[in-house]
Amino acid sequence: MVQLVMYPVIVLLASAASMPIVKILEEKLKFKRLKEMLATFSLALCLILLLTLHEQVLREGHLESYLPGFSLPFGVQLYVDELSIYMAIIFCGIGLLAAIFSYRYMEVDTGLDKYYGLLLTLTSGMIGVAFAGDLFNLYVFWELMCISSYSLVSFRKYRWEAVEAGFKYLTMSTIGSLISLYGISLIYGCFKTLNMRDIALRLSYAQNMFERSNVLPLHLAVVFIICGFAVTAALVPFHTWLPDAHPAAPASISAMLSGVVIKTGIYAMSRILFTSFSSVPIGSASSTHPVPIIDYGLVLIVLGVLTITIANIMVIQQKDLKRFLAFSSIVNMGYIAFGFGIAAYLLYHYPGQYHAFKLAATAASGAIMHILNHAIGKSLLFLYSGCIVHEAKTRDISKIEGIGRKMPITGISSSIGLFHLAGIPPLAGFWSKFLIIWGGLGFLEDTFLVGSTVIIVLNSVYAAGYYVWLVQRIMLNKPSTVVEKVHEAPTNMVMPVVILSTVCICLTVLLPWLIPIIEKATLALLMGG
Amino acid sequence: MQNVSQIQSIYMTAVIVLIAIGLYCIISKRELLKIVIGIEILTSAVNLNIIIMGLGDSGVDVLAQSMVVISMGIGACIAAVALVLVVDVFRHYRTTDVRKLRRLRW
Repeated sequence: MVQLVMYPVIVLLASAASMPIVKILEEKLKFKRLKEMLATFSLALCLILLLTLHEQVLREGHLESYLPGFSLPFGVQLYVDELSIYMAIIFCGIGLLAAIFSYRYMEVDTGLDKYYGLLLTLTSGMIGVAFAGDLFNLYVFWELMCISSYSLVSFRKYRWEAVEAGFKYLTMSTIGSLISLYGISLIYGCFKTLNMRDIALRLSYAQNMFERSNVLPLHLAVVFIICGFAVTAALVPFHTWLPDAHPAAPASISAMLSGVVIKTGIYAMSRILFTSFSSVPIGSASSTHPVPIIDYGLVLIVLGVLTITIANIMVIQQKDLKRFLAFSSIVNMGYIAFGFGIAAYLLYHYPGQYHAFKLAATAASGAIMHILNHAIGKSLLFLYSGCIVHEAKTRDISKIEGIGRKMPITGISSSIGLFHLAGIPPLAGFWSKFLIIWGGLGFLEDTFLVGSTVIIVLNSVYAAGYYVWLVQRIMLNKPSTVVEKVHEAPTNMVMPVVILSTVCICLTVLLPWLIPIIEKATLALLMGG
Repeated sequence: MQNVSQIQSIYMTAVIVLIAIGLYCIISKRELLKIVIGIEILTSAVNLNIIIMGLGDSGVDVLAQSMVVISMGIGACIAAVALVLVVDVFRHYRTTDVRKLRRLRW
């Protein structure tokens, strides 16, 4: 049963590889929708497999699987714990909705077999990143994901915008992944192993020899890993590709990119840092949880505060709806980095204190919950922008005023998504921000932590302001001349939007059931799996 | 053992020089193809670093060798996608000068 872990990735890769054959079959059978159906079917199958795996992981603890032929520290290992399966379900679910949305949205384009093939490899790469147990395996799946997303951003290559943004994205993201590979190679040089748990084990044995965090190559490796993955996670100052690449992609792909691909960056970063660079100190009986050996929490907090502040200033100047949403994605990545940063900071500076560990768990669970909230809210809004482009043929915010009155179903759904992201109290988007801020305000004597949290609180209020402003522009204002003639989008496009807004409400209602799952994922991250 | 660490330090300096050349090439050159070449120099530098890190008394570690082979394959994929994009840029703009790619705002 161990090999069950590999099935989700294999299903997606196999159906991606069979896309050319399916295209030939389509021409032979004169049946138009075969590739769409194959993509949807394999994504749905993958989702079901992941849900069964989730049940199993919750029941039995982590699962692992490795290719036969090599002994464990060297072999390719897939390691599934509560956090990775949680991330994989989000990735696969958003991928499924994007595939359904593409039925009608992409029908004007040609080369759809390549489109669906790339969508499947993108999803399988992300699931692989979530499942990877060793660093090089992670890098390979990472590049699988990145190369698919470069191709998808410039999929409509007859438009200059897509080509230019695609090249920009390719250059920046490739430099980022190469820098992180350089960091990985430094780690390999220090430990002669790439397995994340093995690295943590060796660190905890070697701790007395190292004199706790006094080693230059390890510091360099951490810096390179943070910088490299921060490019894909779009943390300021590495964010400049995102506002170009996300609007240039087709709406379904923007929903994938903004909803989940950037989350992979922050997941990979925090997974490597928390799992490999934390170790249980030997000799201190009071501490039972792993403690970071390097103060990377400080770096993540600074990056997070910088990201939120600068991106918030930039959001309000945007006139293009998709650029507006892209900048607000950067803001939300700042929240997630800030949450993980607080957790690492508290664990590093107050080791062995139960109160600090509890607060760190609160902040980290807020960040993990925010990953889910933002994935759902932002893919909803990008799919909605796809509906608007499909009907009104424009993305200018001033031209689409009052479009919610003409497209009532998607309009109401997107308002729910906007309120969700703004953090209006009963909705789930509020609770994740609240948990992050609660974690940051735990130690009132720590001025750095309290000061940065206060900046975050002010930014949250400001962000809620511009989301509500957008709701007012879309839903309440008088319809402009452009939107007089538009009507509701086709059912295949409305359905994913409505599903996502229902999920937004369900998350709020189902919080008592959701919190234990997130708690387990947090403990899997903080306790080193 | 002394010998191995000497060789490692020499090659690691070479890797840092190569990375500097690659980054300089990407930042300063205005020709898209030269930017792609810069990315390739970076890839080779990082691959060289993996090999050097795997160097032991009994030759290069098997893990490092297999990593570099896969990493070279990935580098080739990236180069292919990048060159396709360069061709598309040339079709749109009739030039591969990066200063002409200014239509996207900041």
